[in-house]
Amino acid sequence: MVSSDGGQLYTIEGFAAALIMLITAYLVVNATSVYTAGDTHISDMQLEALGTDALKMMGTPMNYTESVNGNSTLRTIVELPDSNDMVTPFREQFLELVNITGAGSRQDIQFTASYTCRDDTTNNVNTSNPISYSRNLTGGEHTARATKWVIVNKDICGSDRDHAVLVEVLLWRD
Amino acid sequence: MTDDSGTLSIDFIVGFTIFLIAFIWVVSLVPGLLINLQGFTIDYDAVAYRTGVILVEDPGEPSSWEIAPFQQNFDKSKVLRFGLAVSRDDPNILSIDKVNRFFDTATFNAPDYRDYHDRSVFGDYPYRFNISLRYIGSNKSTRSVGNVLPDGYGYIRRFVKVKSMSNASIDGSNNASLISKGYINGDNETIHIFSILMNNNDMIGKESLIKDPAYQIIPGRESFMINFTSLNSTMWEDRENCFNISLNSILAEDGQGNQTAFKDPIIDEIPIHMESPKPVISNISILYNTTTNRKGINWDAPQIKISLIFNLTKTNSGCICSTCPGSRFLNNTPVGSPFVYDYNPVNVTQPQLRDAVVEVAVW
Repeated sequence: MVSSDGGQLYTIEGFAAALIMLITAYLVVNATSVYTAGDTHISDMQLEALGTDALKMMGTPMNYTESVNGNSTLRTIVELPDSNDMVTPFREQFLELVNITGAGSRQDIQFTASYTCRDDTTNNVNTSNPISYSRNLTGGEHTARATKWVIVNKDICGSDRDHAVLVEVLLWRD
Repeated sequence: MTDDSGTLSIDFIVGFTIFLIAFIWVVSLVPGLLINLQGFTIDYDAVAYRTGVILVEDPGEPSSWEIAPFQQNFDKSKVLRFGLAVSRDDPNILSIDKVNRFFDTATFNAPDYRDYHDRSVFGDYPYRFNISLRYIGSNKSTRSVGNVLPDGYGYIRRFVKVKSMSNASIDGSNNASLISKGYINGDNETIHIFSILMNNNDMIGKESLIKDPAYQIIPGRESFMINFTSLNSTMWEDRENCFNISLNSILAEDGQGNQTAFKDPIIDEIPIHMESPKPVISNISILYNTTTNRKGINWDAPQIKISLIFNLTKTNSGCICSTCPGSRFLNNTPVGSPFVYDYNPVNVTQPQLRDAVVEVAVW
């Protein structure tokens, strides 16, 4: 009898081949997750820079006279007497900034903004006082956060003299 | 007959184990290699971010790279790094003079935008890029330098405010106010000198009213403009038709023995190059621009004086006062008070900050 085992897979070789394939698949999948994390970080950084710059520019006086008086677009909006009055001017100013482009294409960026301050009478931190929004958060958005301290003179948080409030904006791409 | 098929020799097991260990080690290196290969988008974004920070948050190296040093011509080889910020303490506030110099592709004209690559993008890899600045508001003009954008690229977008230049307007039709300030004199003279004083000590010295460079007027570093309108109205009313006005010269002095003539005013809305006296009907605009050559005087000297020398020439027709030898005119030298170019908003329109967006794209 002539032994003919050519072309057959031996048991141990079969295991080895399977092992190699599994290891390769594991490494490729593992490597893919590295790229995703990196991309997300960059994307967050772009949104964060955008939001921080926009708040900074809204909080910068346009000329020396404004600077002496401590006036800025952001301060004027936060000092509006009724919280409903803040919604439209903040939205118009903020969206005009974040949705404008240079040579590149336009992006549809949405935001929701609020402010936080310390209540002088109770000494508690009074959080999440809404300022404005372009669309409500549904919970599924991947948001970046930008903040800016602003000195305002308004009867909020138990004080009617100059005091600091923290304006916080959450922004995301639609 | 011995049937040894399916059995393993010790040699095979040792050899296969060594192979497997080597194979796993090599494969474990692959993700690192892939990150480098696949990471270009991430890299482009990071390079764009770095370039954006360099341009928007830093004044460059040297910090006054946009102007030529005293008594020298502008030399681009002296510019080590671009940066558009007014100062290190004012990130996101850009100088209009730095912006103008930066987008001057006639000066920074190396092939493939190497001048920009080597001074703002950096890196051994020959990145292609596009840097643009777009104003926000009523006039949305855009300036850009670099290659045309492809479909995919890394980018960063930064919001900035661009500091505009200051300017002064002297309106001759408001001659009652000019007389009260001592700017109109020389009742019967034909040669009139009007002086403008810029006091660097008061404007940018230790005692300066304004400390923040974002709002300061800095004659040594920034362009500025002086406009004269309705000059003919500064003469006596009954002599306006008696004399033709000619502008003899515009001189700037630094009080340190240096003097230079400004030869490119705009007279009656027409840009003129002056090698000799030029006739004026009513308007003169003088733009001292840092990107043009301002060689001749030390603009950082404690005091700068700019003098306009006018000559009135008698006409033969239309003159009510035919025997008048001359007329009052815009004249504050030697009698009268110099026009002080400073932080008084009545005299000078102060620098304003204007919203803009800087976008850096890299691929």
